[in-house]
Amino acid sequence: MDIFEFYRKEQWPHVFCPGCGIGTLMNCFYRAFDELGLTLDKTVFVGGIGCSSRVPLYINSDALHTTHGRAIAFATGLKLARPDLKVVVFTGDGDLGAIGGNHFINGCRRNVDMTVICINNNVYGMTGGQASITTPHNFLSTTTPFGSKEYPLDLSEIAVAAGANYVARWTTRHVHELTRSLKAAMQKKGFSFVEVVSQCPTNFGRRNKMADSTAMLEWFKDNSVRREKTRAAALDHVDLNIAGQITIGEFVDRNRECFEELIGVEKHG
Amino acid sequence: MKPVIDLALCKACNICVYICPKKCYSKGADISERGYFAAVVSAPENCYNHNREGKLICELCVLSCPDQAISWHPETEEERKK
Repeated sequence: MDIFEFYRKEQWPHVFCPGCGIGTLMNCFYRAFDELGLTLDKTVFVGGIGCSSRVPLYINSDALHTTHGRAIAFATGLKLARPDLKVVVFTGDGDLGAIGGNHFINGCRRNVDMTVICINNNVYGMTGGQASITTPHNFLSTTTPFGSKEYPLDLSEIAVAAGANYVARWTTRHVHELTRSLKAAMQKKGFSFVEVVSQCPTNFGRRNKMADSTAMLEWFKDNSVRREKTRAAALDHVDLNIAGQITIGEFVDRNRECFEELIGVEKHG
Repeated sequence: MKPVIDLALCKACNICVYICPKKCYSKGADISERGYFAAVVSAPENCYNHNREGKLICELCVLSCPDQAISWHPETEEERKK
């Protein structure tokens, strides 16, 4: 499958700003989808509200564009009604963690078979750069002009604690690792969560002396630490934190029973 | 294979210039039809995939390009000899 058979060529060039990391994720996702040999007819893409949730609308397949933060709730219903379809949710940090935080936690706990891809750009990019729950400590945004004094929320660790089957976090600087993780997440039965730390040069980088997308990629490269190393160094809870550290790697890979198996939907579907 | 930049899609973010380990790309000096200083493939003979067929390696530029502007094309006879 060519990349423009997977995406809608007539919609190109897409609306994302020059240097936005969502385009990088779209390349990696296409590559993973193509290598797994899945078909577009048997896959549904769900998105909430935000820049990242526009990705399903570019894919040559059926998409569900839902209310703010409720993408996982809609996807759960879809999966239980049609267990034969594969469900992939594209969402952002504000959509998943802030407005839909409880849906996210309960989605992980319930362990419905779906793949959730969170594009975390550390800021509310679409609405003008307000601080989000993942803005690192002491970083500037429109609503925190003297630096964000709050500490960020670690979405991947929450997913691990809440019981997701597969959790990984990569940045847009690690494209090959990200592609491999996306493949593993789509093959995994149960709730699999991939967090992609992405650059937002327009609304995050510009206010933090990284106006160039390449400067942000350099920041990812310098500050990302493998999870095995952070565990060894007893720095586990330092994440996108004072030091701006980004913990990357595969967080968990386990095989808990998923919700459809437990309530027996699959037999009837 | 050689990388080719589609000028109708490039938004001149210069991620390819930054990410290429073999320095195949350079910043553009001419303005493209869409109004961007699109990057140019200045040294395709340095690429890891020069004269390579079948499965390609590296591919950092193609995977990183946020606008899907870079694609692989076969080389001409003259380019092969470089």
